[in-house]
Amino acid sequence: MTPAIPLVLLGLVDAAFSGFRAYAGSDARIRKQRATARAALRGLAVGAVLLLAPTLTAALLLLTAGDRARTYDTLTAGGLGYLLPLTVYALAVLLSLAAYFALSFRAGTLAVVIGLGPLTLLRPLAVAAACLGAVLNGGGGSALLVGATAGAAVLCVEPAVHRRWYHHVR
Amino acid sequence: MWTFLGRGSWPTGLRGEGVGFCPVHQLEISDLITVVDPHSGHRLPVRRAEVIQQLRESGDERAARIVAELPTDRDGVLDPHAVDRLLISVHTELQRLSEELRIGERLVHLLGPLFTAIRETTGQPGPYRLVDVGCGLGYLVRRLATTKALGTDVELVGVDLDAALVGEADRLARAEGLSCRFVRGNAFDLPEAATVYVSTGVLHHFRGPALAEFFQAQAASPAHAFCHFDIAATRLAPIGAWIFHRARMRNPLGRHDGVVSARRAHSDETLLRAAAVPGIRALLYEPRGAANPFCTTLRPIIGVRPRLEAPFRQALGRDAHRMVGPEHLAGSIR
Repeated sequence: MTPAIPLVLLGLVDAAFSGFRAYAGSDARIRKQRATARAALRGLAVGAVLLLAPTLTAALLLLTAGDRARTYDTLTAGGLGYLLPLTVYALAVLLSLAAYFALSFRAGTLAVVIGLGPLTLLRPLAVAAACLGAVLNGGGGSALLVGATAGAAVLCVEPAVHRRWYHHVR
Repeated sequence: MWTFLGRGSWPTGLRGEGVGFCPVHQLEISDLITVVDPHSGHRLPVRRAEVIQQLRESGDERAARIVAELPTDRDGVLDPHAVDRLLISVHTELQRLSEELRIGERLVHLLGPLFTAIRETTGQPGPYRLVDVGCGLGYLVRRLATTKALGTDVELVGVDLDAALVGEADRLARAEGLSCRFVRGNAFDLPEAATVYVSTGVLHHFRGPALAEFFQAQAASPAHAFCHFDIAATRLAPIGAWIFHRARMRNPLGRHDGVVSARRAHSDETLLRAAAVPGIRALLYEPRGAANPFCTTLRPIIGVRPRLEAPFRQALGRDAHRMVGPEHLAGSIR
C-alpha cells in the first residue's frame, strides 16, 4: 500500500486550514462565511503548489536511483512511518473540532483551550515527529529528505497566504 | 513594587477616569500609547521615550522593544495615525479570540434571562438599552445586532473613548447594515440611560479604588443591571493566555498585552467585594472552584437591583446554581 495518497490528502486538508488561519484575525466583520471559504480555497491552492516540491523530490530520487524498486520500497516504508504521527495529530484535531462544533460553549472552550490552540503551536513538532517516524520505519535519508520537504511545504502555506492576501487587510 | 498608573486607554468608556495602583511589571502597552484627557476627551500627545522608560523601569524590556518600533514625529511623539492603525489591527485579531471562545454565546446565555427578568419586573414595553462599555471594535454589539438574540426591543449601543476604534466599529456596522450605534465618549455621560451595562475584558484595567468607582457609577445610574466579563483569575490563565495568543495572534503588542491581561485579572473575591455597592446585588457566575478553568476562561461579575435577583434566577433555570453572591465567599473575602 502506498502512503502517498493519504499523505497528499492530509497535506491538502492542512493547507485549507492554514488558509483559514492566515485569514482569521484580519477581518472584523460578523458575517464572513464567503471570505472564510475563499481563504480556505487560497490555502488549498497554495498548498497544492507547494506540495509539488516533495512530489518532485520523490520523483527525482526515483528517477536517479540505481535500484528504483528498492528506492520505491524505502520511500514507501518511510512514508508509512511519516503517516503514523500525522494521523494521530489529525485525529486529535478532528476530535477537538467535532467537540467544538457539536457541544455547548463550555465544552467548545475546552476543545479550544486544550485542543485546537495548543495543537496549532504543535504543528512543527508534528512534522518533526513524522520525519522521525519516516527514518525509524526504514525510510532512511531519502524518506527524510522527502518528508522534510513536505513538512516545510505545509508549514509555509499559512505565512505565504497571509503575506500574499491578508497582510495589510484589516 | 508598586507605581502609580495614570490610565488613558483600554476600557475606553472610562478612559482617564480609572486611576489606581498597579504592580509595575504588569503594564499593558496599549494602556500607555494612547492617552485621552479625562475632562475634554481630547487625545494627548504621547512621547515614545517616556513610554519606553516607563516599561524599562517596570522591568519589561520586551515591551520597551515593541514600543521602540513605533513611528514618531521629529519631537519623538508617537504618530497617532500609526497607533490607531496598530490598535485597530490588534483589536481585529482580538475579535478572533472572542469568536473562537464563543464569548457572544456566553453573553447571550446570561443576558437573555436578564432581559426576560427586566421585562417581567418593570412591566415596561421597552425599548431597553444595552450599553457596551469600552466596546473597542464593538464585536459584541454587532454580533447581537446580527443575531437579534436579545429581541428587537433592545437598543444596542457601544461606547468607547477611542475615536479610531469607535469609527471603525461604526464603519463595520454600516458595512453590514446592522441596527446598532457607536458613541465616542464616557459610557456614563450618555444622554439616554442604559438598561444594562456590559463589557468584556475591561475590568482588569481598573486598579485599586477605580474598580469600586466603576461599579458605583453604574449603581448611581438608572440602569437595572450590569454584566462585565473578564478573564477568570486562575493559575492557568497566564499560561493559557500565552499559548492562545501565541497560536492566534500575530501582532507582538497583542501577544504581550494578552498575557499581561491574564496576570492582571481580578480574583473572584476582589470583584465581588468591589461590586457590592449600595443598591446593587453583586453576583458572580461560575466562580473559581465551581467551574472547570478549561471551560471558563472568562466569567462575569453581575450586578442587579435586588428586586431583579429572584426573577433573574428563575429565568436562568438550572444554571442559576452557577451564580453566587458575596456570602458564598464570605470566609475568603472577610
